[in-house]
Parts: sequence; structure tokens; C-alpha cells
Amino acid sequence: MPSRHDPQLLKGVLTLLLLRLLAERESYGYEVVQRLHAHGLDSVLEGTVYPALARLERERWLISRLVASDAGPARKYYRVTPTGYDALIEATGSWLDLVDVVSGVLEQPLPTRPGKGV
Amino acid sequence: MDTARSLAISWIDRLRIERLVWTLDQRLYDLPRRSRIAHRHEVRQNLLTAATDVGTTAALRGLGNSRELAEEYRTAQFGIAPRPAYYSAALFLLTAQLIGTSLLGEAANAFARGITAANPHASGSYAWSGIAYLQSEVTYHFTDGHGDWRGGAWTPLAWVLWLTATILVGRLWRVIPGRHRSARTE
Repeated sequence: MPSRHDPQLLKGVLTLLLLRLLAERESYGYEVVQRLHAHGLDSVLEGTVYPALARLERERWLISRLVASDAGPARKYYRVTPTGYDALIEATGSWLDLVDVVSGVLEQPLPTRPGKGV
Repeated sequence: MDTARSLAISWIDRLRIERLVWTLDQRLYDLPRRSRIAHRHEVRQNLLTAATDVGTTAALRGLGNSRELAEEYRTAQFGIAPRPAYYSAALFLLTAQLIGTSLLGEAANAFARGITAANPHASGSYAWSGIAYLQSEVTYHFTDGHGDWRGGAWTPLAWVLWLTATILVGRLWRVIPGRHRSARTE
């Protein structure tokens, strides 16, 4: 079944989602992906999430540490820094404001469908 | 995330994972060494975990192709602005000099062979001006068909062309706005 989520839209809010999930608890890359999938965002690819984590770490919104794993090499766990936490609060506010505005537009009665050739 | 099921990874699956990790690594040469190694380890570890969870084929599919992944990592590192390709520049810098030197050396050798072909017992000194603008004059000293030669080095113009081509191939002029950007953000 094709995903019902627009990948471009998802990519736009990926930073916010990652910060939120990692603010809840420390996770490693694949686990973050699994948590996104568990929330219904099953079209999010690992190949999008891992570089995004790297970018957030570079921006010092995340910090990482290696944790030994029984299942193989050490896992890189990420958690949110105080700066990242502040960014999360600000971005969440912005997103919710945007959702309000967009919902206000989209929830109005739909105009008549345009005819062919228009 | 610990899951109830855990799939075994065969050595073929490990090779498939290593192949992707290796390919990705080759595409990340423009990144600082420490970042490149960290990304390689992280991707390998995540792939192994995913492979035990959903199988290697699904794990590799979920990651996408290495070219796009590498591009995402480069964007994460350098931003979306145009950036230099240090790896291409370094590769060109080395190979172009090897090829150029070999070419000019062959041209000089060809001239020497021409002398001995015309006179197998040639003796004396012979001068050849070299490849115009790119090579200094070559002087041959022969004694009874045997000899050696001096000269044939790259001219300043050849060096300038070589360096200019390196800048063009590596798009190194992009380093300057990149440095301005990083100075602003620090």
C-alpha cells in the first residue's frame, strides 16, 4: 500500500520529530526509525534519518555517546542538548501555529470542483 | 530496540552490508576523516541491527542507495550550498601529473628514437625544443648511438595549467564562500 504521507512534508518536519523523540528518551539511529514507524510514519527511511541525526549533532542540538551492544559493534545513542531542547520548544510552537493557520484554511467548505478545460 | 524475533545474518548478508558500507565510504571522502569513519561505523551497526530485525534485504532497502545517502551526509556536513570536491581535486592532482610527466617523457624518448633510427651510430649533441610552451628544451648527448638526455621539464605554464585544472576539477573556488559561511555561523 503506498504511503499516505508526502515525503517532502515529512522531511520538513523531520528535525522536529527527531528532537521530540530524543527529548523523550535517548535512542540510536535504527531505534529512532522504528519509533517513527510505530507512530505511523512508516514512509520515513533510514537513509533520511541517519544524516539528519548527523546534522543535528553537528548543530549541537544533539549529543551522542557510544554504548556497547551485545548484538555487534557499539551503538551510537543520541540525546537532546539544552540548546536542542530550546529549539524543540520554539519549533513546536511554530509548527502548532502553522497547523492552526493551515487548518483554518483547509477546513473551510471546499469550493466547487472546476470543470474540464478550466 | 530489542525485538522478540532476531534473524540470523549469514556471511553473504554480511558481505552485502559491507558492500554498501564500503560504497558509502568511498562516496564520503570529501568529509573530514573522523566524520567519515563515524558515519561508516554507525551505518554498519544500524544495518546489522535492522538486518536481525527485518532481514538484510529489507534493511538495505530501507537505507536507500549509497549515492543518495552520501549526498544526504554531505549536505548534513556542509549545508546545501555548492561545495568543493576535495577528493576529485586530490585524485586529479596526482594522476594528471603522472600522466603529464609520462606524456612529455614519451615525447622526448620518441625524439631520441628518431635520431638513432636515422643514424644508429649517432654521436654528438642534439637539441629539441620540446612540446611548445609546456616543456623546456631537451638536449641529447649521443656516443655511437647510445646516450642520454637532459631537460624536458614542465614549464611554469604547464604548472599553472595543472594547478588551474585542479581548481576547476575540484571546484575549489567554492572553499572561499564556504569559509565565509562557517565564520558567520561560529
